[in-house]
Amino acid sequence: MSPAESIEKLIKKLRYQANTETHQRILGNVLQTLDESEKEKTGAAAPNIRSIIMKSPITKLAVAAVIIVAVIVGVTQLIGPVNVTSVALADVLERIEQAQAYMYKTKMSTTGTVMPGMPAREMEMEGTATISNEYGMKMEMTMVDANSGEKTIQQMYMIPNDKVMVMVLPAQKKYIRMEFTEDLLARMKKQNNEPREMVKQIMSCNYIELGRSKIDGIEVQGFETTDPRVMAGMAQHVKLTLWVDAATWLPVRQQMDIQVNEQMQMHGIVYDYQWNIQASPDAFKPVIPEDFTAFPAGGMKMPEMNEEAAIEGLRMFAELTGKYPKNLSLLTLMQELSQELVGKLKDSQSPASEQLRQAFKQAQSEDEKAKKLVDMMKPVQSIGMFYMTLMQDKKEPAYYGEKVSPGEVGSVLLRWKISDNQYRVIFGDLTAADVTAEELSELEKALLK
Amino acid sequence: MFQDRLLLWKFKTGSQDAFCRIYEKYVNDLLTLAANLLADGSSAEDVVQDVFISFVKSADKFYLTGSLKGYLATCVANRARDYIRDNKRRQTVRRGETERIAPEPQSPVQLVIRSEELEKLGCAMTRLPYEQREVVVLHLHSALRFRQIARLQNVSVKTVQSRYRYGLDKLRSILNGEVEK
Repeated sequence: MSPAESIEKLIKKLRYQANTETHQRILGNVLQTLDESEKEKTGAAAPNIRSIIMKSPITKLAVAAVIIVAVIVGVTQLIGPVNVTSVALADVLERIEQAQAYMYKTKMSTTGTVMPGMPAREMEMEGTATISNEYGMKMEMTMVDANSGEKTIQQMYMIPNDKVMVMVLPAQKKYIRMEFTEDLLARMKKQNNEPREMVKQIMSCNYIELGRSKIDGIEVQGFETTDPRVMAGMAQHVKLTLWVDAATWLPVRQQMDIQVNEQMQMHGIVYDYQWNIQASPDAFKPVIPEDFTAFPAGGMKMPEMNEEAAIEGLRMFAELTGKYPKNLSLLTLMQELSQELVGKLKDSQSPASEQLRQAFKQAQSEDEKAKKLVDMMKPVQSIGMFYMTLMQDKKEPAYYGEKVSPGEVGSVLLRWKISDNQYRVIFGDLTAADVTAEELSELEKALLK
Repeated sequence: MFQDRLLLWKFKTGSQDAFCRIYEKYVNDLLTLAANLLADGSSAEDVVQDVFISFVKSADKFYLTGSLKGYLATCVANRARDYIRDNKRRQTVRRGETERIAPEPQSPVQLVIRSEELEKLGCAMTRLPYEQREVVVLHLHSALRFRQIARLQNVSVKTVQSRYRYGLDKLRSILNGEVEK
């Protein structure tokens, strides 16, 4: 052995070892710091929610899936029975309803905070939709983040016969399978999809005829509505414009300008219609490569849209944030929840907050965290979807979230009409009761004082 | 290395048990490193404790690109330098709660000889310039490559190799042929 090797070998043997007491002391001190650090981290779990949303495209898409369905249902729902006041629009509707299958292209640009937890940005979406009365709907979409240039491609299938919506996400090699509730399915079956529902919506609201114009050399007739009821309360300001072929009475172009709230605006057009196409059932079957995995593994279910689910959602929102939401429009509600969680979850000592913090702590992967977040948002989405159905069904809903605090007994938080002289009321303490119109009037007067 | 990544991942997802396993796996190596750098058992404990505290506070913020052992050793080396700079303590070996231990003896005679050798070597280490000592112990005890040490010391690889060679030469010179040949 050379001298160098010999001394190197000896140096390696020059070891130190602490005695048991020293180990216990060091480890004890470190673990104490770890406990304190964990408490701080638990308290600061709220920013992680932003992180989960931001880091996990799947979460954005899972949340988006619920919103997309809600928007589609919202857009495609009738706002009560159609009161046919326009012979021209009735003709348009009749012509559309004769089409068993058709295609269209769509472009949508969104500015502001698109999804809860995301910074304000501009998104461009282009898509091609194929709709069949028999088989459902297929939509291929390409979304481009105007800020980063990031492009996302996805396919969405809505299959009423199987009661599911499937989103295929090639970039993530994942797919989301979302089951519809019976209530939602019934609503979707009752109605169909764009563009006929837009015609019905315009017909059911106050609208104006724009007269004749020309689009791509075709003579068209225009109709326009800015009636706030048109999107079932989902947006602050809406302008829907429909241009139909003056010869065939089939839509040529639709334009939508939607101000969802102060933070989000959407502008979209639907164009390049192809009517009465041949639809093959295979075209509506989701194509999912073998190496794609489901997110979440067990699939998702659309939030319930009933009174019980809405109360649960209100309870959860209040427990997480200490107050009721300001507004029950689905998108605004989701944005408010996101903002409140980021700001307040770390300080909240409520069981719901603690449960959420624990859920994130125990999650073993980003996907699992994402699923927890999606599950947590579901009851809150229920409120928005329930309120949307109340609007759609013209049940005269009124909501007083800014005036009523959690736990307030006898204060009307949400009410809607259930018969000519009867209203259903959810109070500030989240009890519910039927009241007469007179009783409601007194309750609301007291609230406004 | 895979096991370390697994332990680290478990720790980052909230497993205290995983942290304890990391601690048990590396605490003696780190104490050895710190004690050889600082030539003081008590200071070595302080440094190692500081490194582990810093580790648990920031574990979820860093992404491990190399070995966990190398990462922790680098942390100890950095902290030891700060410790020396901040405290300006005399670098003397102090026996206390931490004691230098000899390797498993092969015979009672070797135990005495080895203990004497190690005692002398330990004293000789304290007489090395700090930069040389740091290179020697990081390379031999923590298995850091010269390239990694060069990055830590902010010098060239050649300088690190020179410091290593000079360090060993000086140790041999100090021990004056008493080291087993």
